[in-house]
Amino acid sequence: MDIADGELVVFVGPSGCGKSTTLRMLAGLDDVTFGKILIDGRDVTALPPKDRNIAMVFQNYALYPQKTVFENMAFGLRVRRTPQQEIDRRVRSAASSLGLEALLERKPRQLSGGQMQRVALGRALVRDPDVFLLDEPLSNLDAKLRVRTREEIATLHARLGATMIFVTHDQVEAMTLGDRIVIMRDGFIQQAGSPLDLYDRPANAFVATFIGSPEMNLIDGGLMRDGGALVMRSGGLSVNLPAQSFSEAERDVTLGIRPEHIERAETSTAFELVVGLVEQIGAQTYVLGKIDGNKIRAVFARDDALRAGDRIFVNLSQEKLHLFSRESGKTLRRTSTKGENGNGRELHGQAQLRRAEFQG
Amino acid sequence: MRQDWRIIGLFIGGVLVLGTIVGGPLLYSIKLSFYTAASFIDPPQWVGLGNYVKVLSEPLFWGSLLNGVTIAISAIVLQVVLGVTIALVLNRQFVGQTVVRALSIVPYFLPTVVACLITQWILDPNYGLLKSVFASFGYGMFDWGGNSTSAKATIVLVSVWIWTPFVVTCVLAGLQSIPAQLYEAARVDGAGVMKQFWHVTLPGLRSVLIVVILLRGIWMFNKFDVIWLLTKGGPLNETETLPTLAYRKAFLEFDLGGGAAVATISFLMLASIILIYLRVFPIDEAKQGR
Repeated sequence: MDIADGELVVFVGPSGCGKSTTLRMLAGLDDVTFGKILIDGRDVTALPPKDRNIAMVFQNYALYPQKTVFENMAFGLRVRRTPQQEIDRRVRSAASSLGLEALLERKPRQLSGGQMQRVALGRALVRDPDVFLLDEPLSNLDAKLRVRTREEIATLHARLGATMIFVTHDQVEAMTLGDRIVIMRDGFIQQAGSPLDLYDRPANAFVATFIGSPEMNLIDGGLMRDGGALVMRSGGLSVNLPAQSFSEAERDVTLGIRPEHIERAETSTAFELVVGLVEQIGAQTYVLGKIDGNKIRAVFARDDALRAGDRIFVNLSQEKLHLFSRESGKTLRRTSTKGENGNGRELHGQAQLRRAEFQG
Repeated sequence: MRQDWRIIGLFIGGVLVLGTIVGGPLLYSIKLSFYTAASFIDPPQWVGLGNYVKVLSEPLFWGSLLNGVTIAISAIVLQVVLGVTIALVLNRQFVGQTVVRALSIVPYFLPTVVACLITQWILDPNYGLLKSVFASFGYGMFDWGGNSTSAKATIVLVSVWIWTPFVVTCVLAGLQSIPAQLYEAARVDGAGVMKQFWHVTLPGLRSVLIVVILLRGIWMFNKFDVIWLLTKGGPLNETETLPTLAYRKAFLEFDLGGGAAVATISFLMLASIILIYLRVFPIDEAKQGR
């Protein structure tokens, strides 16, 4: 895969999917079994980390405990024998852009988690690398700080126009940060594309459930023609599908509908949802219930009156329906995706990067 | 409340035991240093600071102090350098790592007497192992015990042999507590093996090394068994240290007061050095720095 200059690409996937291994191979910390890594057209596959001109931010910050903030940030430059004046200038400039000026003389143990993360970012920043590699940099922060630091990283990226690769297991982080998201599972890329592309046109059932919260409802059933209409049947449930949108190559299918695409309806011609559990989260009401015996999660505008046991009517908006092959999990949508890896381009072997080219 | 009593009970018990086996003899020895007595049975005679004046004016006392410091510092430096090196090797992944790690601690289990007897058997100028090795090449045997430097070196080597495994074990534990990510960060920052050692490993071992050097320092400064078993302070008091001098005075020259004075001075010196050492290298701060 190619990553363009100035792009912020997020590798996301469940733990063990190979995203961190991929990042570590890019950094030169892990060996590449086969394939090539090119940065700015230069083959760096066999080069040690120091010769790749990359900077990395680690999950646990990895600050040198005995060094001050200033020295932590300056270390990479000192190793490269940068003149003292230049070190001063770069560290102070990075510190001011991260709001660390007042902390330069402190030791890491005197900093909060958020401050340590900013120092780790600063350490990468002063190096002015071709690529920034960020390995789950927010996962040790509390929820509030995570959102704020996420915004800071986004701002930083916009201002510097730097090429960044960000690894996370959190799909919200991926959606909000990435110009492009690469979803991985078991060492293979499932899909790569813009956040909304992945949300609107998931290449397979895994991507469909991984992106979006609460996750997409999946209902197994059979695909058939009923008169002229294309219908998915599961037990007593029968859903009409837009005929042109989906391939009819397979009979055993999985229907997907996101909870937020289930709409309240007034008429009894719609589906009947038996409410099982109601969760109020303020602006919205989450409902877990059943339609004809199929478990369904739905998100509605706030409804204080809704109670468990209520029977309400809902519509499944046709243009928001997804259909996947039950056997392969792949989407049966006809005009697949706009993303370059619509069919889940495969990497060979566990966590082996076929070819990552960066034009930095 | 019951737990409070339990704690107080344990505390009082501990104080009583410590007081009886450490505090009592210590105070008795300090008291003895102000008296003169030829044995523990004789009624001691009060001499005030007489023993101290006598001991401090003897060249043998200062010579012994210098010997002790020389032997202690050489042994500690060697033990720490060797210990850290061996621990660094053992910390790497290799086949049979567990077995080699276990074997590396074996010398520590050796009773000092056994280690010293083996050393003597190897080094003896008349019937030692080295002598026959040298003889087979047509060389004579060097009398290690007849020369000040080689006698000291032998004591140092035996101490290093027995006690390096202790340093290895402590440092190995310390090495395992250094996060791997620090090494990775240093590699990304461009640091080579030496810079990684200097900027990551050594600072990470700081608190371990402070404690190890402190303990080895105390034990080496008070070392009696190895010296007595190998050289008895000879040749011509060249390996005499304060502990052997105190023993010699008290039990061979029947000067209990003089021996007690040497022991007391030695104790006060060591205590002040430890206090200064801990002021310069505080263990707590080292811990927080990790």
